[in-house]
Amino acid sequence: MLTSIILLPFLAALVILLMPRDYRVAIRGVALLATLGSLLIATKMFLGYEAAEVGVGGYKFIQRIPWVESLGINYFVGVDGINVGLIFMGAIVAFAAACVSWEIKTNEKLYYLLLMVMTGGILGAFASLDLFFFYAFHEFALIPTFIMIGVWGRGENKNYATYNITIYLSAGALIALVGLIGLYLQVPAAQRTFDIVALTEYFKANPMAANAQHFIFPLLMFGFGILVSLWPFHTWAPLGYGAAPTATAMLHAGVLKKFGLYGLLRIALPLMPEGAKQWLNVLALLCLGNILYCGWVAMRQRDLNQLIGNSSVAHMGFVFLGIASLNLIGVTGAVVVMIAHGLLAALTFALSGYIRTQTNTLNMDEMGGLLRKLPFIGAALVMAMMAGCGLPGFANFVGELSVMFGAWKASFGHAQWFVVAAAWGGLVIGAIYMLRAVRSVLHGELSEKWNDVQDAMLWRKTPFVLLLAALMVFGFWPRLLTDKIKPSAEAIVKMATATKAPEAKVQTAQAK
Amino acid sequence: MFDDFKPEDVAWIILFLPLLAAAGIALFTKRDGKFSAQISITAVALTFLVSCGLFLMFKDAKLVPTTPLNWLNIGDLKVEIGLRLDPLSLLMLLVVTGVGTMIHIYSFGYMKEDRCMGRYFGSLSLFMFSMLGIVLSNNLVMTFIFWELVGVSSYLLIGFWYEKPSAADACKKAFITNRLGDFGFILGIILVWATLGSVSFDELQQRLLKAPEAWSGVAAIAGLLIFCGAMGKSAMFPLHVWLPDAMEGPTPVSALIHAATMVAAGVYMLCRVFFLFGAHTVWPEFLSFLNGWSALDIISWIGGFTALIAALMAVQQNDIKRILAYSTLSQLGYMVMAVGLTGPTAAMYHLTTHAFFKALLFLGAGSVIYACHHEQDIWHMGGLKKKMPVTFWTFLLGTLALCGVPPLSGFYSKDAVLATASEHSVFLFIIAALVALLTTFYMSRLVLVTFFGANRSDHADHAHESPKVMAWPLVILTVPTVLAGFWGIDLFLGRQLAPEAVAHHGNFLETMFAPFGHAPLAALVGLGATIFGFSLAYGIYANAEKDPLPEKLGFLSRAMRDRFYFDEIYSGLIAITHEAVSRLANWFDRWIIAGLGVRGLHGSTEIVGRALRLVQTGNLQTYAFLFVAGLVLVLLFALK
Repeated sequence: MLTSIILLPFLAALVILLMPRDYRVAIRGVALLATLGSLLIATKMFLGYEAAEVGVGGYKFIQRIPWVESLGINYFVGVDGINVGLIFMGAIVAFAAACVSWEIKTNEKLYYLLLMVMTGGILGAFASLDLFFFYAFHEFALIPTFIMIGVWGRGENKNYATYNITIYLSAGALIALVGLIGLYLQVPAAQRTFDIVALTEYFKANPMAANAQHFIFPLLMFGFGILVSLWPFHTWAPLGYGAAPTATAMLHAGVLKKFGLYGLLRIALPLMPEGAKQWLNVLALLCLGNILYCGWVAMRQRDLNQLIGNSSVAHMGFVFLGIASLNLIGVTGAVVVMIAHGLLAALTFALSGYIRTQTNTLNMDEMGGLLRKLPFIGAALVMAMMAGCGLPGFANFVGELSVMFGAWKASFGHAQWFVVAAAWGGLVIGAIYMLRAVRSVLHGELSEKWNDVQDAMLWRKTPFVLLLAALMVFGFWPRLLTDKIKPSAEAIVKMATATKAPEAKVQTAQAK
Repeated sequence: MFDDFKPEDVAWIILFLPLLAAAGIALFTKRDGKFSAQISITAVALTFLVSCGLFLMFKDAKLVPTTPLNWLNIGDLKVEIGLRLDPLSLLMLLVVTGVGTMIHIYSFGYMKEDRCMGRYFGSLSLFMFSMLGIVLSNNLVMTFIFWELVGVSSYLLIGFWYEKPSAADACKKAFITNRLGDFGFILGIILVWATLGSVSFDELQQRLLKAPEAWSGVAAIAGLLIFCGAMGKSAMFPLHVWLPDAMEGPTPVSALIHAATMVAAGVYMLCRVFFLFGAHTVWPEFLSFLNGWSALDIISWIGGFTALIAALMAVQQNDIKRILAYSTLSQLGYMVMAVGLTGPTAAMYHLTTHAFFKALLFLGAGSVIYACHHEQDIWHMGGLKKKMPVTFWTFLLGTLALCGVPPLSGFYSKDAVLATASEHSVFLFIIAALVALLTTFYMSRLVLVTFFGANRSDHADHAHESPKVMAWPLVILTVPTVLAGFWGIDLFLGRQLAPEAVAHHGNFLETMFAPFGHAPLAALVGLGATIFGFSLAYGIYANAEKDPLPEKLGFLSRAMRDRFYFDEIYSGLIAITHEAVSRLANWFDRWIIAGLGVRGLHGSTEIVGRALRLVQTGNLQTYAFLFVAGLVLVLLFALK
């Protein structure tokens, strides 16, 4: 089941490769069908998750195909409460991204080929339970991102943005790779494996040496952190998203970016509780940079995409805060924010992409009164902006609320003041820039030059309706997510706060 | 779900009917304004009927909870959404749905010519859903959820005419100011949860009884944080600035949301969590200068202060809706002051009567504005008494009730507030009496200038009575405006909010003169203030052509008209704080992080690359030399 979700986009890529380049409609049709197929299967998996049989390590829908047995590399996929939601969200966003790709008018064959590879890579990375595939799938998704921004990107900053995002993300992925190799080497040669479940079991029984943890944890934290635009390594994000084609921005900001967070949750926290203890207060401090600082930066943006990009960076701060709080409520909230933000980021970038095709600009000073011309897109944008500043009824609210409740009880020093700052960032600063955007884009008098602007018609509404509906379903009924996440988050928190510290042993060894 | 059906679960219908109406309108019928209006009106009328039924069924019960729904359940964080029927919520239900129904019907006439009538009624139904959620809520998180939803529906309705820049700015301002209050509110909720381990009102009450000592350390600060929420919604100083601007919305919206219901939600919420304020007050160290004050003291002073400044501002406004807006602010200050003076019964009583007569006054003002073709300046009206008799007489009754003329409802509720003040604080009692005087003064000014004297403009000359669909709600609203003082609302509420007080039912005459019996001072002072305020206004404004006060009072009058410059002070403050920080952050982002960091990294990599290129000479001697040098270094380290 999982394999078919991942395989469909890759198959589509293969089919597109074999098609003549001027079969534009057919190429687009293949891409749409493949993502729709993935979405349907992912929905079935998400709905059937509770009833599915539990396999190794508490994972469900497991499939394992041996690959390089001498190195212990297997194709091994499976889901627990955390990635089942992420894959479902990823499939929704992938379909929506394929839908909005109608704006691409040049070299469609290559574009859809890359889009399909990227989609397959993303879904594969979240499904993999094998370190090798986990990382390889991520690279599969990352490289098309760079090419797509470089070829189909927009705006005068395109080249600088491509170059910036490539350097940052490659550096982040590389640092994380060093960390992962270090982790791999901590296992005695005879038992070395890429199997995440086996690794988790191994380190549960034989905790890693404390000094190794202190060294490897920051590598993963900063490596993965850069991939998620952790402050102060965030400047690539607004810049890159501003230049990227709509679908790329949706897929990257919405789904691929969560890979770093997922890595932190799945690998760094449970395997290295000592490292976590030492480094998570640093993470908590940096996440305020995301929430407050990037919020302030967003307040000054006059370009809609830059504003959305900065706000997306700011939202990542809530996930970091939830992870740093290291308790059940905070971690569960962080996962909810990951999923909610994925849907929301995709929605806002899709909307701004639509507006851009109509107006050829995203400069908010030139816009105004567009709600009259765009009743549907405008209403969707208002809803997206409201969801972005944490309005109840959308999934983001549930996540941010739980993160704040969780962080209040976190063990790092002055946790309460962190919550105060986060609430200020989320409730006040968020509201200021979101409503300013609504005010200058949609409200006010309509300028005459926008007389030809057209609202989205019929099927072009599909991606927006789909994303909004998902946000609201999870917002109204959050237990669809939290009941799945909770047991898995509990297991992670339990391992990450395990008190069995080998530190004393190491110190005495050094003393001798 | 239906196996264990209980009659009180009917309350869920009240909550979800308006939501269904809103969703139906948004998804299907938005283009057909008239049909949307009918859906919305039917929904609200049905909720009113169901509310009446529930009221009759449960009016003698103490507390009836509905079957709860487990909404969120993560570890210690349990949020069970359920509805709570007790005297407080039953009364509020009737007020919200009753006044709401009248205003929905009135809107049908008022908004008839607007091409976005569908959007209007959709938003109105969304508002009803959110407001009823606050009323029926059984826990703090649910209150917060609907609190935010009320904020957003108010945002949508204030900005209904979003093409007008002033309306677009006003809705933004309202939402952000409310968010400032909600920032405190959510922190207060988290603090309550972290200390007492629950968010449900019931459980909190029980845990407070069992272990009050855990609470006393945070009671004051948590109380004030929760009060922040009320400060935002009920527009208390210093967050009062959004309410007058909110008058940019359509007038029925001002009547429903910004006079009768939403702004009263703050007071309602304070009464709901009043039990949290009882504990002994200890301030944390960094607030130790507040020692000797309880949270309730601070609340009552903020209420009293708001009542006074708002009444002063109202004296020099010329826009008919703005006068009423400041009057609303002032009356809300009254209610909050009453809560702070440990008189939630008086506060809720005044809230109820105020909802009736203030809705009536706003609808009357809407009728005047409609007749004068959207003219809102009272000095461009005049002599409307003969042209609009229904509007005039109903407006007059509303005014008299607001001024506290016996035996209208306003007299009794205001007397309850004054009596509470006279028992607890002399200063606040004096302020309250002064506010009563000012209230009569500015309302008399409004009536004298608008309805009496000569016509001052063509619009006023051609004015005629509004259509029946607008006139009837006015007439119906006069009934509670006049009679609500005799319905024993205070006794009904007292059962829940002040159970220790002795309650006795008297006959009609006894009820009528009761205020003079148990708090004669308050009643007489209130009455005196009313008479004095009216004679003052009559002396100045009877047959006046223009306002003589600006000349007499000079700067003071200008300061009153310009709202004591709060808006200017705030925008200055925001400019030197948030705007400056945001400018700085943006600069730092662009030049330091992206500039030095990224380009610097790029540059330094390039320099290193160039430097290393120098080593790659291709010359065998150089390589041999470097090799030997390296070997020596390694040996040096190894042998040391």
